[in-house]
Amino acid sequence: MSSVNASELEIATLWFLSARAMSAADGTFSTASQGAAGLYAQAILGVSEAACEEAKKDENVSALTLLDCLGRLAGVSQDVGEKILTGVMMIAYANRTMHPLEVRWASMLASALKLEADDFQRCCVNARVMSGMLGTHGADEIGSRSDPGPESESAP
Amino acid sequence: MTRDETNFGFLDRCDDRVAHLARQAEHYVHTDPDSCLFKLRLMIETMAKRLVSMSAPAMVDADLSSMLGTLERQGLLPRRQADGMHAIRRDGNAAVHGNSTPTPTAMRRLREAHGLSGWYARNIARGSKVDPGRFVPPSPPLHQSSEEAKLNGQIERLEDEIEEQRRRTREALMLFREDEDPEGVRKRYRIELKALDMVAAAAGEPVVDAEFVALVMAMDLEALFEHPSYGSESREARRNAEAQLAEVKSALERSEQAYLSQRAELVQEMRMHKRRQLRGEL
Repeated sequence: MSSVNASELEIATLWFLSARAMSAADGTFSTASQGAAGLYAQAILGVSEAACEEAKKDENVSALTLLDCLGRLAGVSQDVGEKILTGVMMIAYANRTMHPLEVRWASMLASALKLEADDFQRCCVNARVMSGMLGTHGADEIGSRSDPGPESESAP
Repeated sequence: MTRDETNFGFLDRCDDRVAHLARQAEHYVHTDPDSCLFKLRLMIETMAKRLVSMSAPAMVDADLSSMLGTLERQGLLPRRQADGMHAIRRDGNAAVHGNSTPTPTAMRRLREAHGLSGWYARNIARGSKVDPGRFVPPSPPLHQSSEEAKLNGQIERLEDEIEEQRRRTREALMLFREDEDPEGVRKRYRIELKALDMVAAAAGEPVVDAEFVALVMAMDLEALFEHPSYGSESREARRNAEAQLAEVKSALERSEQAYLSQRAELVQEMRMHKRRQLRGEL
């Protein structure tokens, strides 16, 4: 897709890959994180709808292993890296349980991003705030698109 | 299909109320498309209430969007059906709030409602044979002029565009594509994660402070906002996130509004055409 620039696509791809891995880590697929993922990408990471769509194509997200993902994350800016980790932790928090593999994935991401303990803690706190906003309500937000419901059912 | 025939007869055996609303919607599709949409919206709300009452009774009085969200999260509402229900909900809400509905739009939603009814009936009448049959569009009461057919063609093209845009928006928002097998992808990542875990453990790679992670997870938001170390930062993070989220939502809303305006223009053109016909100017 020509309207998507390479760096935007890179961020979107790394985000979706990291987020998918976290959603898979606890062994139960959380549908709550399904809709929140794209909303987070667009609202917080600032990637476009087109980039989100493009990133999920086979030639992008499916072509990378998690090891590739970790390697490429080392190349993103600290700001973007922290936002990605915050979003990934938000997904981990969505179902209010923490599996050892989720902790391991968070550790590997933090290490790839070269985050200090304080930075990681800040990401966790922000993720908890976001999980309240997006984690369990994301899909509803998307569905509603802010349109009001009917005021009455007085149709003929 | 004549006025006395219906596409929704198969619903009689499993849900009288839904069957009645579907027939009314069918009845109005040509003569009063707005009313058709009101009825369809009420029909899917009735379906959602019944489905929710079986799985999450506490949500029965919630608004339609929340009920659909609950059903989706519980895995009881597949993505395709959810898309169809959300499309009816959005267009139904638009009609209730004064946005005119063209007949082709109402017909599309009616067709979707037929497919949804088949799925719904199979869920309600478990074990019984459900055959919704093929949807037959109700015939218009009068013959269409070539001008009307042309306008309807324009509306159909606009509806195609709206549907494609809505599909893309939803595809972009989801973690997995519609044509992917999330279970298969999940397995693949689990295998990779386990392998990485073994390597990292063998290499003595550090692990993040799991106790802190769990503590934050357990904290309620109010406690977090009042926390001496994290309170101010977390409040700011929330404010920023809310503002950014609002921006995305308003962009989505603007795009829907643009479509509604185009729809309204075409409906207006159709009305003018019919008035000219009535005055014998055509």
